[in-house]
Amino acid sequence: MATNGAQSPSNAGVQSITTQNGAWRITTRKLPILKAEPIDALSHEIGIPIPEMIFGDNYATIEYIPSGWSISFNARDALDRVSKTEEGMLQVAVAEDWKKDREGREEVKQVVKPFDWSYSTDYRGTTAGKGEWVETTHERDPIRTDLLSRPDPILFFDAVDLYEDELADNGIALLSVKVRVMPERLLMLSRFFLRLDGVVVRIRDTRVYVEHGGKKVVRQYTAKEAAYEDVKEKLRARGEHVTEALRDANVVAPLLRTVTDVTEVVELG
Amino acid sequence: MPGLPASVDLDECIARLYRKELLADSVIEAICAKTKELLMRESNVVHIQAPVTVVGDIHGQFFDMIEIFKIGGYCPDTNYLFLGDYVDRGLFSIETISLLVCLKLRYPSRVHLIRGNHESRGVTQSYGFYTECSRKYGNPAVWHYFTDMFDYLSLSCVIDDQIFCVHGGLSPSIHSIDQIKIIDRFREIPHEGPMADLVWSDPDSDRDEFSLSPRGAGYTFGAQVVKKFLEVNSMTHILRAHQLCNEGYMVMFDDRLSTVWSAPNYCYRCGNLASVLEVGPGGERKWNVFDAAPENEAHRLEQQQQQQHAGNDPVRDYFL
Repeated sequence: MATNGAQSPSNAGVQSITTQNGAWRITTRKLPILKAEPIDALSHEIGIPIPEMIFGDNYATIEYIPSGWSISFNARDALDRVSKTEEGMLQVAVAEDWKKDREGREEVKQVVKPFDWSYSTDYRGTTAGKGEWVETTHERDPIRTDLLSRPDPILFFDAVDLYEDELADNGIALLSVKVRVMPERLLMLSRFFLRLDGVVVRIRDTRVYVEHGGKKVVRQYTAKEAAYEDVKEKLRARGEHVTEALRDANVVAPLLRTVTDVTEVVELG
Repeated sequence: MPGLPASVDLDECIARLYRKELLADSVIEAICAKTKELLMRESNVVHIQAPVTVVGDIHGQFFDMIEIFKIGGYCPDTNYLFLGDYVDRGLFSIETISLLVCLKLRYPSRVHLIRGNHESRGVTQSYGFYTECSRKYGNPAVWHYFTDMFDYLSLSCVIDDQIFCVHGGLSPSIHSIDQIKIIDRFREIPHEGPMADLVWSDPDSDRDEFSLSPRGAGYTFGAQVVKKFLEVNSMTHILRAHQLCNEGYMVMFDDRLSTVWSAPNYCYRCGNLASVLEVGPGGERKWNVFDAAPENEAHRLEQQQQQQHAGNDPVRDYFL
């Protein structure tokens, strides 16, 4: 199996399906949040504090059985791609007030090492085995939403959380993966959703698309964002219940501006 | 102090709430008004005596709160101190806070409630309580009754002059308990200052002193801060909630501080344990660890069936 399943002594929380032609295996694992010791170990390993809900044992994997190639989504590798410096670091809406209030306070002797505490990641999954990602276009190698929109039976479905943080009640940061397997194709979606109240709304999606009869994997990474107030204004104009809508990435997604959109493909031998 | 309107029978309210029934909004209004009067007379630092069972975050997980009474004893046979975060996130914030408030009114010297960071207008608008009130009552009036009452909740408790209890933690502006007593607490939780720190801050085992969060707001406090605070105030332990722990509790800083977490399987998906801390007459501390109540799963299946009946299948989602 995939890279991160090996330590587990049992198959606890594991679900799996193999496509009818025997070429693709889709596996998920869902276990409770990590305990204190593994959290400390993970924090030291990757060098940043860990989100308050950390599903460090969870994963979602697609494996090409003939060659052993795989793509897997897990919290550790996603967090390892969070900025560990001041680069791109956001500040909460009340940060200015704080600075004024606390200036020159001698009790506060330390500032925590800066990192991107919004846990924004550009993670596109962890690949293993023979095969190179090649950049392509969405026109040449599309994710067939027309075929995915057909009401084909879903043979396997799972939703796997990787991490979540309420940003000390300044919003939400959530990374989760969904997968659905139909008779002829499958789609996996890893979504990072960030709502930083008064500041920004951000969605970073990685879609992985496979037609079971082929040897090709298509991966599309789409990053979108917009200023919080702009999103709020648009929701208000549409007559949505604003606070409720802001909690739902699906409602907010069409209101954001696309900042990155990359399609890649890997041909498996 | 004038009593409740004759139409409101507290024992009957409590019995109904144990059955997870909602009270009428006029009853909620009367109960919140009465609770305000009661809380107004409490100090910012309430002194209580052991034995007492201390409860951490509940977050609207009603069935799990009932589990606490089942394993720890019902009121008034067991004394309770609740450390805040009664609402938001879970499915039954109204039922949870309604029952706690009624118990407080019925047994004021045996039930103590202090304020968590979620007992606030701002936070409850983003994390579920406001939406739940609007949905279950058809309008947000009860949300106003509850959140107005939250402004009166005390900020901290001291058990037998030894154990300092607070929702979040310490503040760089507070060295002695007396500095808590002079805070003007009858207000929405501010964004900064000592009142915010008490409900927000977290301990950090990697650092000795106070540290400013990279977010630009919020503090963490270290081992030396805790040691000094306990020395200055002649106390032995700090007990707080606010942070999720998979094991249900966490003890830090050479047994000088512990975190109690009382929402098992938080958000119905974290798979974590929960606990309550039983403080005995001699100051001894016993963790009572528990798992999610079976009623949660029964309720989830019921909801799922209703949704499937309505043509929505939450289990199979044609996402794109």
